Amino acid sequence: MRCSIRDQRRFVLRSSFAKILRVSLCSAAGILLFVTPSRTQSTVQTPPTAPPASTGLREVTDETGRTVRIPQSPRRVVSLAPGLTETVYALGLQDLLVGDTDYCDFPPDAQLKPKVGGAINPSLEAIADLHPDLVLVTKSLNRIETVNSLANLGIPSYAIDPQSVAAIISSTQRLAEILGAPEAGDALAKDLERRLAGIQRRVAPFPRRTALFVIWTQPLISVGKQTFIADALQHAGAESIIDSSENWPKVSLEEVARLQPEFLVFPDTHTETTPLNIESLADLPGWRILGAVRNHRYAKTSEAVDRPAPRIVSAIEDLARQFHPEAFLDQRDTSPDLRDRQDKDKKENDKDNVTPTNPVPPPSISKLSGAPLGFAAQNPSLAEGHACAR
Amino acid sequence: MRPLTFQGVLLRCGILAFILFIVVVIALKLGAVPVSLYGFGLDLLHVLLRKTTELSSNYNLIVYDIRLPRILLAIIVGASLAVAGTAFQALLRNPLADPYVLGVSSGSSLGAILALILEPHLALPLAFAALVTPVGAFLGAAATIAAVYFLGRREGQIDNTMLLLSGIISASFFSAIIMFLITTLSGRGDLRGMSFWLMGDLSGALQPTLRWVLGIGFLVATGVIYTTASDLNLLLAGEKEAMHLGVDVRRVQLVVYIAASLLTALAVSVSGTIGYIGLLVPHVMRLIFGSDHRILIPTSAFGGAIAVVIADTLARTVVAPSELPVGAMTALAGAPLFIYLLRRKFA
Amino acid sequence: MPASFTFAENPRASEIRLSVEQVSYAYSANPSQAPLFTLEATSFQARPGEIVAILGPNASGKSTLLKLIAGTQQPLSGRILLNGFVTHSLTPRIRAQRVAMVQQESPLMFPSRVWQFVLQGRHPYSRTLHFESDDDVLIARNALAQVGAEHLSDRWMDQISGGEKQRVILARALSQQPLLLLLDEPTLHLDIGSQVGLLDTLRRLAAENRYTVIVVTHELNLAAQYADQIVLLHRGKCLRVGPPSAVYQRELLEQVFQTPLTVESSPTGRPRVTILPVS
Repeated sequence: MRCSIRDQRRFVLRSSFAKILRVSLCSAAGILLFVTPSRTQSTVQTPPTAPPASTGLREVTDETGRTVRIPQSPRRVVSLAPGLTETVYALGLQDLLVGDTDYCDFPPDAQLKPKVGGAINPSLEAIADLHPDLVLVTKSLNRIETVNSLANLGIPSYAIDPQSVAAIISSTQRLAEILGAPEAGDALAKDLERRLAGIQRRVAPFPRRTALFVIWTQPLISVGKQTFIADALQHAGAESIIDSSENWPKVSLEEVARLQPEFLVFPDTHTETTPLNIESLADLPGWRILGAVRNHRYAKTSEAVDRPAPRIVSAIEDLARQFHPEAFLDQRDTSPDLRDRQDKDKKENDKDNVTPTNPVPPPSISKLSGAPLGFAAQNPSLAEGHACAR
Repeated sequence: MRPLTFQGVLLRCGILAFILFIVVVIALKLGAVPVSLYGFGLDLLHVLLRKTTELSSNYNLIVYDIRLPRILLAIIVGASLAVAGTAFQALLRNPLADPYVLGVSSGSSLGAILALILEPHLALPLAFAALVTPVGAFLGAAATIAAVYFLGRREGQIDNTMLLLSGIISASFFSAIIMFLITTLSGRGDLRGMSFWLMGDLSGALQPTLRWVLGIGFLVATGVIYTTASDLNLLLAGEKEAMHLGVDVRRVQLVVYIAASLLTALAVSVSGTIGYIGLLVPHVMRLIFGSDHRILIPTSAFGGAIAVVIADTLARTVVAPSELPVGAMTALAGAPLFIYLLRRKFA
Repeated sequence: MPASFTFAENPRASEIRLSVEQVSYAYSANPSQAPLFTLEATSFQARPGEIVAILGPNASGKSTLLKLIAGTQQPLSGRILLNGFVTHSLTPRIRAQRVAMVQQESPLMFPSRVWQFVLQGRHPYSRTLHFESDDDVLIARNALAQVGAEHLSDRWMDQISGGEKQRVILARALSQQPLLLLLDEPTLHLDIGSQVGLLDTLRRLAAENRYTVIVVTHELNLAAQYADQIVLLHRGKCLRVGPPSAVYQRELLEQVFQTPLTVESSPTGRPRVTILPVS
């Protein structure tokens, strides 16, 4: 039986009908896809509920070399990095801050700000809902995709990327200027520089200590030469033994053993789910080779040391005291970093102590017969929770 | 004897389209920021009636500019991956084939990483900077497609075994290079985003140009594959048998290979490697609708779209306001489903 | 319908349908090696309603000849004409409307039903995105009836026996409505009853529907009983072409099959071969 003409026509019709229908269905979907971005972008810039923002825009170049157009005086700022949040508070401009990340925990007030998610994976919706006119990001912590997505919505981002302590200070100044309060920036910068100079004076006469900054023990990860952490160590009178152009190089224990640093430096991680048990380092295979491990020559500091914020100066001072206690014999008061920590802990009674409670004897105890006790005697609150010298 | 009819296809696709619509509506409603769909509906009406000045509520920004494009992207990516998976399973006559088995995903990941590495050295205007990753990914994918094709030929014709082998080898080779680059360049902060991309990420907003390319590419490639649907049915019976039944095997293999690879390349370029969609959606649809490709291809497209929209909605709500990569969600759901299907022996 | 088909409806059905003219084929494993001739110049002709058996031991070139006739490979020399058209130069689609192949099936990846399988035979007649019409369904059902497998229509392909599967594959070939029916060792995995049943069916189909049937086999007696013409191949050479009585000569067969045998006349008048045990 051969196909009749009628059938021929029928299935020619059907197959072309099928094609037409399919194409039109898909085009409808496609059109819907493309009609969405036709919404005017300008509505984004004017948040309906906020007071009329300054309409002036200016072009600035941020620290990654991007040219961005930001308002003359931003009114609603979102910070996507803990360091930036701290800086904003240090500049006294926290009223401009309308949102920050889940990890922005210092100062404690920052935790009360509306949250937009993590630094790497914030929620675009949450950010957009806050109607910011400027978002602050860092090159090292945040993703370029986030910045691009925000730009697509018409929200400009300003990025910092300080690679030394001096750069942090100038970053802070620049940031203050961006946020419309250059005087606050200048004042803070002066204060920071003064303190740095003070530390410099104290530690300059003494030989530099060699140190290994330990970000992670297994695998062993340290910091590179071009990070501000390495620079901070320099200011504190020590030298990072790792000479690498990577930011967070993985180093081999053998190499460290060959260089035998005098100190191992550990920053606090504030996600204290697995507190680094430094005492048990001596039990890890291979670590006993290091003289610093055998002699318990550890220097500890808060997370301030890896945040590009003004608090790094406190961390530097803290470290300097541990590297060169002989330079601070005359100073009886506590380090500013410790003061900051005390304030923070006072306000969080329900939070566990972040510092390890194991008493760790300070280095070279023979030289300082009285100093540790002096600390404790001066500050009773110290004696309660902070048995270790910091 | 109940052969497939055009109406049958339309009916099943209609049902799936309806399910997709429901899923999209729910996805629009859910998210880190609460929205009211009633207001959204009103505003949609206003937009269609061109009264844009009346858009008042601020959540429309959320829904319009963020969620809706993202959902539409999820639909296209899911549909592309599912159709590509169906095509590769037919082409390679292998139920374990997925869009990534021929190395396209590794090649495009490598392309994306190389693009990210090179980007600071190219002075690009800001508008193009965001295109760097997708373009690099697509170029990487295209290079892989060509390389695997030429390696996978025997006597001038696509040989399935050779193709599969070259694909697997390319995939592992590129993965090794990617591992190498990531570990040696781990100090660079901008590669931090790669881990997200490698797991599949739909949160990056797309330029309008990219959306056009993606949409048109999807339509063209899927349409082309659909025209070979009955040929694919026969191809599954065996190459020789298909040839004796009038299928131009060489032409069909080449066409399907290119079209399916194109679909994969497009999807992977913009969203990274979202796994399990291309592998499992065809099997589920086969379980429900049978293995005739004339129904399988369109239903897989819808099924893939539904699956990725659901996965993406979960990814941006379970730990709100943080977001998980979509690939994590598909893997979490996909692996148990895969085991279940295995036990049913791909009925 | 394409005009060329009117050729087939030529009332003078005793005309030559298939003409194999001096075809040869060579195959070289790699370019540096000299090509190995798998088939040397072979010729024969076949008419509608005829059954031709291509006979020979393994590696005699039988399958090569069948592939050449099927048009999937191009002969090195010579040509093969089907109703005046060179089979190799036809497009696969047109070719599949005229030549149907029955061979051992590769294992199916996804299960299908018998009727779906048989319906595949209508593919050469379908346009892109074509859904099977009522006519197609009728033709497929007819084909199943012709091989006596209508009752299997709703069964799954992996649930029927070997003999039943063979019939279903034949039904698929029939639904292609071909001029030429090619079978590659169809009796290999069948028991004697099924073998005879299959060949009976083929003879009936050839007579009723005027198919030209070409069977590749090494079964001497079945070929003698059912074939109208025998093409005897030995190591790529065509030794003789003709009706069984002409081809089944003792010395010739002993030389080809390398075993002592006797040839006598069976009750049906066709030759019968008895293999003698090597004592």
